[in-house]
Amino acid sequence: MDCVIDVQDLHREFVTSKGWVHRKKERVKAVDGISFQVKRGEVFGLLGQNGAGKTTTIKMLITLLAPTKGKCEVLGFDTFSQEKKIRNRINFIFGGELGLYRRLSARDNLKYFACLYHIGQEEADSRTARILELVGLSEKADILVETFSKGMIQRLQIARGLLNDPEILFMDEPTVGLDPLGARMLRDIIRTLKEEGKTILLTTHYMYEADELCDRIAILNHGKLVAIDTPANLKKLAEEEEVIEIRLEYPMENKVKEIEMIQGVKQAVLQQDEKDCLLTVKYSAGAEIIEAVMEILKGTKVHSFSNREITLEDVYIKMLEGLS
Amino acid sequence: MKGLKVIYYTALLQMKCSFARPMFRFCLIANPIVNTVLLYEMFKSSDRGDFVSYVVLGAGLMALWSCICFSSAGDINRERYSGTLSLIYVAPAGFSAIITGKVIGNTILSMVTFILSFLTAKILFRIDIKVSHPYCLLLAIFCAVVSFSMISIIVAYLLTLSRKTQLYMNCIEIPVILVCGFVFPAEILPLWVRPISYILSPTWAVKLIRLSVSEVWNIKEFYTVLCILIAVTAVYLVIGYFLLKLIESQVRVLATLEVS
Repeated sequence: MDCVIDVQDLHREFVTSKGWVHRKKERVKAVDGISFQVKRGEVFGLLGQNGAGKTTTIKMLITLLAPTKGKCEVLGFDTFSQEKKIRNRINFIFGGELGLYRRLSARDNLKYFACLYHIGQEEADSRTARILELVGLSEKADILVETFSKGMIQRLQIARGLLNDPEILFMDEPTVGLDPLGARMLRDIIRTLKEEGKTILLTTHYMYEADELCDRIAILNHGKLVAIDTPANLKKLAEEEEVIEIRLEYPMENKVKEIEMIQGVKQAVLQQDEKDCLLTVKYSAGAEIIEAVMEILKGTKVHSFSNREITLEDVYIKMLEGLS
Repeated sequence: MKGLKVIYYTALLQMKCSFARPMFRFCLIANPIVNTVLLYEMFKSSDRGDFVSYVVLGAGLMALWSCICFSSAGDINRERYSGTLSLIYVAPAGFSAIITGKVIGNTILSMVTFILSFLTAKILFRIDIKVSHPYCLLLAIFCAVVSFSMISIIVAYLLTLSRKTQLYMNCIEIPVILVCGFVFPAEILPLWVRPISYILSPTWAVKLIRLSVSEVWNIKEFYTVLCILIAVTAVYLVIGYFLLKLIESQVRVLATLEVS
């Protein structure tokens, strides 16, 4: 497989000015020397907290932003000086409700963007109809976008991103605002695109989504790359840990603290739901903690108890907590 | 050919989107009517024999310029805030073709202001504007559309560099109307202002239109003004070309295509 995205020591700074008389310039490092490569046909995930530099990285790759320093190549071309050779071969989908002409219908939006991608009239008509069907908007095709719900707008964004049949599709939190059915539809589309040999670079805050879809994942923190590997290998980083999840009635706060004091327990987190609570206890693999935990919870109604596998989310949180 | 298609479709889309906006409809419909009434009242006691041309053409031109300011220039901001500016910027069609299409669409639609100001003058004040040289008027209007479009393109390019588009847009509207002699001859402006008038193509476009409806026909002056207008517009074209090259890289360095 050839490399279609090549990023080496990439930096991007934003300069802001403050004050009227004594203007002060502030430099913010959004991306701070990251390097990675993406192979053709790969689904590559970029994970990180808000402000980690994911969107800025994508914007440099789609030729929207200039890098401050470093190498940023897509399909073998520099994104800043050879952008014209890249633009008709890629596309991107940004999450949220922006990026469409609200006073036009869904069909008119797609037809116009087809024109901007130099797609012929007949081809544009057939692609528009096919893609609208794919994203489940056929029946709303001729309705003004300003009347659309958040989820429908997001579906139309996805349709726009697929219009030019791109070799590489960049997706920045594409499932934001989508209902479960819409999110599943998008995941199915990503799988189909992968089968067709398309390359996808994806950012998401949903770890299960990244785990399910991505061949490889890069984790960013404050503009720096902190890990890059397959989801399976990343999970091995937390192999020495095990997790138990207990659904229970709301326990006394001090009980959670007592559980954290048990030898071998690394962390106990209590999350309150509408009906009950979820207590997640992370502990060193092999440590015998279950009896001690149940002893502390004696008198509290336990609804369920399970010993689950380490997820990508556990690894992600561990990694970022370790860094902070 | 592909570029022309993009310009054509963008112009159509622009007309559709602009007309759907209440503010644009106000500029397009109410503005020329109000301007015609106000200018008529201001000019009716003047001793100018050609005051009708100042009323009708002045009102139309003022409204045309307002439409251009609030659409061609304002569109950059609208596109920025609706998240489409970045999409059209990275589209293979090219930013220059898209901006050209938008400006042409708006300018063509804005020509309605002339018809409205003519009709207002005719219906309310029963005044007719006599066109002594209709072909020259058509040529002058065509040149005016090209020159207004060219200046709008330059303004639109410049406004991609800043997020304070709204402010600049409001700042340029009235000064251009005054300096370019939309409602009075530019020659009555103070000497130090005139160089500014002469480097702005609308000054020559306005003068050309006015000459073509003038009862005193001076063919030499008409062609002189036409040549100056073509020359100034050509200079704008060259400036626009280099500006585009500069701006295409600068907006990516300064990250001004979006709002965060």
